[in-house]
Amino acid sequence: MKAREFWLLFFPSLLIMGALLVLPLVRTVRWSFEQVRYGTPGTFVGLANFTDALTDPRFHRAVVFTVVVTVITTAILLVVGYIIATGINRITTSRPLVLGIMLVSYVLPNLVGAVAFSWLFDDNFGGVVNRLIGFFGGTQVLWFTDQVPNAILVIANTVWHMLPFAMLIILAGLQGVPNELKEAAKIDGANAFQTHISVIIPTIRGVLGFVTLITIMDVLRMFDNLIPLSPQAQNIGNESIMLYVYSVAFADGAENLGLGSAINVLTIILILVMLIPFIRGIFKEAKAER
Amino acid sequence: MAHTQHRALPVLALAAAGIVALTSCGAGSRTDNANSTTVSCDYTAPEGKTTVNVLAYNSSAIDPFTDTMVSSCTTDDVTLKHDPIDFGGQVTKTTATLAGDTGTYDIIETYGFVIPGFGEEGKLVPLNDLWDKYADDYGLDEISQSMVEGMSYDGDIYAIPMQAQMFVLAYRTDIFDDLGLEVPTTFDEMITAAEAIKSAGLMEYPIALPWLATADVTTGFQGAMNSLGADFVTADGQVTLDTPEAKQAVEAMLALKPYMDPQVTTFDQPKVQQQMFNGTAAMSIMFSGRMFDLTLDSNSKLADSFGFAGAPKITADAPYSYNRLSIDGWSIPFNTKLDHDMLFQMMASAVSEDASKASVPAAYPAREGMVTEKNSPYGAAANDSIASAMPPIVSPIAADITNEIRPILVSILNGQISVDDGLAQMQAAGEKIAG
Repeated sequence: MKAREFWLLFFPSLLIMGALLVLPLVRTVRWSFEQVRYGTPGTFVGLANFTDALTDPRFHRAVVFTVVVTVITTAILLVVGYIIATGINRITTSRPLVLGIMLVSYVLPNLVGAVAFSWLFDDNFGGVVNRLIGFFGGTQVLWFTDQVPNAILVIANTVWHMLPFAMLIILAGLQGVPNELKEAAKIDGANAFQTHISVIIPTIRGVLGFVTLITIMDVLRMFDNLIPLSPQAQNIGNESIMLYVYSVAFADGAENLGLGSAINVLTIILILVMLIPFIRGIFKEAKAER
Repeated sequence: MAHTQHRALPVLALAAAGIVALTSCGAGSRTDNANSTTVSCDYTAPEGKTTVNVLAYNSSAIDPFTDTMVSSCTTDDVTLKHDPIDFGGQVTKTTATLAGDTGTYDIIETYGFVIPGFGEEGKLVPLNDLWDKYADDYGLDEISQSMVEGMSYDGDIYAIPMQAQMFVLAYRTDIFDDLGLEVPTTFDEMITAAEAIKSAGLMEYPIALPWLATADVTTGFQGAMNSLGADFVTADGQVTLDTPEAKQAVEAMLALKPYMDPQVTTFDQPKVQQQMFNGTAAMSIMFSGRMFDLTLDSNSKLADSFGFAGAPKITADAPYSYNRLSIDGWSIPFNTKLDHDMLFQMMASAVSEDASKASVPAAYPAREGMVTEKNSPYGAAANDSIASAMPPIVSPIAADITNEIRPILVSILNGQISVDDGLAQMQAAGEKIAG
């Protein structure tokens, strides 16, 4: 490809990425050092916004909650996604139907799905799960006001929403595993479990790394599902970082755009830190393939 | 390839069907309301095509006025545009549109609580001159004077009152009749009735109040303080959150908790309505705008079993009822580029006599004498309730204090901190805002 053709094709993407990604990022970093209200130029306040955020116990709780949910959710998605993808990989005729049904939770708007999901645990709207717990002799679980049950609820919803994505990507990876490898393992006497651990998973580690990367980025930014699932998130310590940002920067007529930007910058750093191992892995793999 | 297509097609078909089904859930008419009407809306239209953007949250009490305005004032050249939005969205968009020299909206729905703050900051157009100019044309003198005062600050009128909401007690007449219970007029009587209902094995949590950890819970606390003749601040700006009245108000709220769902701090008004619809609660106190829904057969098979009464007092000797008088109105943002006369006439049309009449019983219009026992199932209760409500204290810092003390109040109600510690924290938070 000639340089002129390359730039002709690449320029529109560069323009859009610059406008939608780079400019807002630059603005966010600038605002993080300013006190900003709607419609007024910001006032430089140095590191005050970062100091406010880093000394706020509520921010600490939000970071801990978000990271814990991210780690647990990612682990569940990888394991369950792999198991389901393996199962679906074995079926043939009914695969489109199963995939179509499984995709429902993924194509649902997150907020809509979370509202419907919350009703499973809410006696006012049927509370199917509560009825099941009662049927088996369990006591009332305070899903929305106790921290641990509520965290379980949030994780369950996130897994429910993102599982189809993880499963689809892993399924694509599984379909790329050469049959010769699996047959060789079988001839060498490996059982099914050993074949998965020693042959298939190492073969698709790049795909698993990709799923992990996307999942971490998505879950670290969770926001809208908490509105119905954790109505008093702040009080029980189940506030995500993004919900905290919304709360201090925008909710109830607040106009702390500088503080909100500072927390976003800190979140970007947190995301990068959590992704370093996976980004390194992808680079290594690309280098090895070259 | 053919095999891949064979697999992909059913997936695509399923996904497409899902998307179509989902989008159809959100579809629907934006202006079709049984309590709206068409009224005269005679304004001088500007030259050329004009769009008037209206910001108003959706509720059964506000929709009649919004829909009347949109349908009556839209002409071939002037389009009134109103998009559905919830209350939280309205709060955020109001802040944003009033921030700079240019805004998105030309008419905004406001309420008494925010008028002092916006008035002091000059964010709304004072309407006194326009009021005098058009009072006769639109019968504005028939609007309740106390509500006009509620939408005024420092002598200036900042909104045309549209409708008011006050706390009303809804109760199950069948259960109260069967058990020979009197309609409660105090919190103690509510507890006595709740005990009787629990003892009869009818329900576990007979009382339902909207104490969601948002503005709902602080509104409840403010209503409890109002019952004792107090508020978060005095008229001269003194914060009063560690007073004996504040303590008594919190303790009165805590006394009701054993008879309410343990997750009450996650219950907003729709959820409390749902408790009543489902028959899992026998008494609830909500804003009057929520009462009409209880009377609809389409919402609950218990619709015929709901009775209404004025809001109870905290104690028998309290001067006022557990109540908040919330007045809604129409305001003109300071940064609209459209003609103020035209906008005022549109707003005045929406609260005209015919529009107000049509809004009953979904709303409690600001015009005097509109709601009666005959035309509204909760009319008598609403009139009793409004008569026993403490007049609002006008303070530009009340809204900010309310937001700041909310998590502390929720912690008290959830037993995470003691009443005394919580009150001290709320007082400190309030004083920080008051400066």
